[in-house]
Amino acid sequence: MSILCSVATRGRYETTLPLVLMAILNQTKLPDKLIIFDDNDDAKDMREMTFYQHFFRICLEKRLDWEVVYAPKKGQHHIHQIANTWGYKWVWRVDDDCIPETNVLERLSKYIEADDIGAVGGAILTPQSGVPIPYDLPSTGLIDQIDAEPNIQWGYITQAKPVQHLHCSFIYRAGVHDYHLGLSRVAHREETLFTYGLHQKGYVNMVVPSANSWHLKNPQGGIRSETKHEMFQHDEHVFRNMLGLRDKTIVVLDSGMGDHVVFSHVLKDIQNPEVFSCYPEIVPGRSIAEAHYLFGNLDQWSIYKKMIDWGWKDSLEAAYRKMYL
Amino acid sequence: MILISPYSKQLRSGKTNPKNYPFWKSVVELRDDFVQIGIEGEEQLVPDFRKNLPLSQLRQLINECDTWISCDSFIQHLGWDEGKKGIVLWSVSDPLIFGHAENVNLLKDRSYLAPNQFGWWEFVEHNSDAFVSPEIVKQALDSLLSFDKT
Repeated sequence: MSILCSVATRGRYETTLPLVLMAILNQTKLPDKLIIFDDNDDAKDMREMTFYQHFFRICLEKRLDWEVVYAPKKGQHHIHQIANTWGYKWVWRVDDDCIPETNVLERLSKYIEADDIGAVGGAILTPQSGVPIPYDLPSTGLIDQIDAEPNIQWGYITQAKPVQHLHCSFIYRAGVHDYHLGLSRVAHREETLFTYGLHQKGYVNMVVPSANSWHLKNPQGGIRSETKHEMFQHDEHVFRNMLGLRDKTIVVLDSGMGDHVVFSHVLKDIQNPEVFSCYPEIVPGRSIAEAHYLFGNLDQWSIYKKMIDWGWKDSLEAAYRKMYL
Repeated sequence: MILISPYSKQLRSGKTNPKNYPFWKSVVELRDDFVQIGIEGEEQLVPDFRKNLPLSQLRQLINECDTWISCDSFIQHLGWDEGKKGIVLWSVSDPLIFGHAENVNLLKDRSYLAPNQFGWWEFVEHNSDAFVSPEIVKQALDSLLSFDKT
């Protein structure tokens, strides 16, 4: 059961990132590989920094394979998508200011043996002086309740339970669902959309007890450090539009006429499709301009990008079936 | 009547699309009942050239013709969609991915296939050697038409 640990970082070389990395190194169960996605504008060679020199030496000693990847600076959803398609069966994503207790990966891993598990998360706790952290928040974890209840991971969890979406840091089944790349660089709601997408595909997401991480919410740095209000607005707009169509299979055909003809043979097998089409005379649907407006960048629906990612050798029709069925 | 769709989509760079069959002039000498379909600006190869037809008329023509010959373009999909068997002239794109087994797929050799099947065809050079000869097209056409008669 191969596990990749993915840490996306920005502006936290000398604050919380070292704490996070040491916490990963001190796990009772180590991942098979650690990738640090360095999203800093002025990225440094971490091997030249004293703390990280020591850290990488211990990694070597503990046989934890590590790699630093200079990230594309398009937002953490793009980084997570790279990790998602790196070739591991599971990805444990850890924020660069979210410090897992030593047993977290071991605890989360116990739940991923079942075939139907999509993602598993523990409590994501923020220490605040004078404010006690609650136990077992009365939250359902249902997407319909997202505006009405606190996230269940914000309190201690004493009982494992299924939820529809997860937050912040968790382990997930890789390569079965894509991150929504139509979000802006702040990637607001990216993990909610991603984990809910796993749920929509029939996988079970869970929160589990005794897997606590400490989310410091460090005010400096962070992968979402860009604070342009318009970006959050854009992402919230995309999020609400995706939720509005959550009972549908969203089909976006931003491709050629021939591709539309081939796809038309797949359409009848798609459950409850909501189609956006370039050639409505071949495949009836709403316009591609509207899809752009609703969902932002449409690359995630590009069948050609998918076929590249999959190293595809089979037919175009089979590719559409893999994408939508 | 034999329908021909000689050209694949025009490239924005103005270069010749690597999927365009280079020996059409020899092929159209084989018979006098070819009808060409395409768009304004494409070279006319036979007296009957019908341009910019709407989808409904294309479907109708496909159903009326004895068979059709096309490079890897929209028409090979439409012919398949209409259940009318035709001949597809391949070069750099892979018929196992983009073709349909119901058609007669003429590929000279898989060694000519572009390494990246999903990139822009703008970046692939046209190579006349990558296509089958007009003689092979003639054989395939004769075989298809005689099969239809039986």
